[in-house]
Amino acid sequence: MAKKDTINALIRRGLEEDIATKLADADMLLGDVKAASVDELKEIVGTKKKAKEILDKVGRKKKSPSKKKSKKKKKKKEIFTIPDKFEPLKGTAKKLQEICEEKGYDLPRSILEDAAEKIDSKDIDKEDFALMIDLIHERFENRKIDPKESIGIVSAQSIGEPGTQMTMKTFHYAGVAEIGVTQGLPRMIEVVDARKVPSTPMMEVHLEDDIKKDRDMARKIASELEVTRLIDIAEVDLDMSEMKVVIKPDPKKLKSLDLEPNDIVKRLKKSRYIKGNVALQGKNVFITQEEPKYALLHNDVEQAKDTKIKGLKGVKRAVIRDTGVEHIIYTEGSNLQEVLQVKGVDITNTTCNSPVEVYDVLGVEAARNSIIKEALDTLAEQGLDVDVRHIMLVADMMTNEGDIKAIGRHGVSGKKTSVLARAAFEITSTHLLRAAIVGEIDKLDGVAENIIVGQPITQGTGAVEVKYTPKKAE
Amino acid sequence: MTRKHTRFEKARVIGARSLQISMGAPPLIELSKKFMDPVDIAMSEYDLGVIPISVIREE
Repeated sequence: MAKKDTINALIRRGLEEDIATKLADADMLLGDVKAASVDELKEIVGTKKKAKEILDKVGRKKKSPSKKKSKKKKKKKEIFTIPDKFEPLKGTAKKLQEICEEKGYDLPRSILEDAAEKIDSKDIDKEDFALMIDLIHERFENRKIDPKESIGIVSAQSIGEPGTQMTMKTFHYAGVAEIGVTQGLPRMIEVVDARKVPSTPMMEVHLEDDIKKDRDMARKIASELEVTRLIDIAEVDLDMSEMKVVIKPDPKKLKSLDLEPNDIVKRLKKSRYIKGNVALQGKNVFITQEEPKYALLHNDVEQAKDTKIKGLKGVKRAVIRDTGVEHIIYTEGSNLQEVLQVKGVDITNTTCNSPVEVYDVLGVEAARNSIIKEALDTLAEQGLDVDVRHIMLVADMMTNEGDIKAIGRHGVSGKKTSVLARAAFEITSTHLLRAAIVGEIDKLDGVAENIIVGQPITQGTGAVEVKYTPKKAE
Repeated sequence: MTRKHTRFEKARVIGARSLQISMGAPPLIELSKKFMDPVDIAMSEYDLGVIPISVIREE
């Protein structure tokens, strides 16, 4: 039976029957043939030419990686002008910057820009600029947080307290056209837990500048994102009298999706699960089995119905929203990696709501920003106003080792270097026992360790050391 | 050393100094009768900048 399968599989890939039989007789399965070298096949088939032919038809496709490489090279040539990270300041902001340099102040760029904007909107003499900068500098210095301040606990409290006011469980349709998004506390927990797949994955797909106002283009791209199964566009039936599967595509639906019946054939042929022969006859597609067995045909029907004809894996639905300025496609389900490769998609603005997916596709820095955005949006949705800096601290803690760690046992708290700190958190005896066996050393750098040991903690007043410096007699 | 003390440093210096005073160290400022609390004395000493204690900073 296994042999027969192998032979059939080989024939379907375009080999002649006698060659396929030879291969199967040599106890080779399809996978073996794929992985085999030319020499190995030559021994079985006889001539080198035939062996090569087999590999061309059956062997692992080496085309795809080489294609990717050549594409990358081309892209490098096209894009590689790295833009300056910061444009030099202009106009009023530049003048303010010059004053700062004169006075030796170190003010952040964003403050200078904000100030310049306010100044420009009002009528202020240039002589007063210096005075303003003095005031800004003074306020800025006063608002700086002192070194050794325990900002962690401040952040924890500042996020935790508004958290108590969040709705326990809500599942409503948040602003975005009829796509349900997890909100409130469950969503916050999801973000902070660095869940691999959020309970409601979503993407916000922006379009490139030249087509973003074109509704038809938006619709076309949306149809490319959304998964279309065969059952959505065709009638799939089992013809018992003829012993074949009949697929009748709906011409209207095909047209709206820009598909041909031939595309269906191609897709079905590619499917691993469909064992029969797929052929186009007129407008309909038929699947036949060499060995007409009801079970096999029935399997093909079920598999064919589920076969993806168009779209990106995981994207269940795509909805277009017109903001007046542009068309944005919101998708239920996400596949960031592939959506960025779709033509016409603005890769700089397109995002998805899963920080872990962003990390996989774009890296840690992007993941950090994604965590900040998701947490802030969730809080804002509930009408809670939490300072970004608290959330930034959380995001930094989660990403500072180069990958995303969850807050909690499996992430940040569980990976602390100090044994005592870990023991203070959870499963005390296990940690202590393990540390004793391994011979861990605790440097007593953190807070929890020092409290356990009974020392002043290494923060705030406890971190300041003083020495006696006698005043010299004048 | 021109940088201002942080609030933690201020608290630590005043704390250290008031401990000294409470244990009998001679005050470095003129005292009135009202001033008998070592912490108050240390605080006014701090304001006048006469406390012979400096902060070790890691830099």
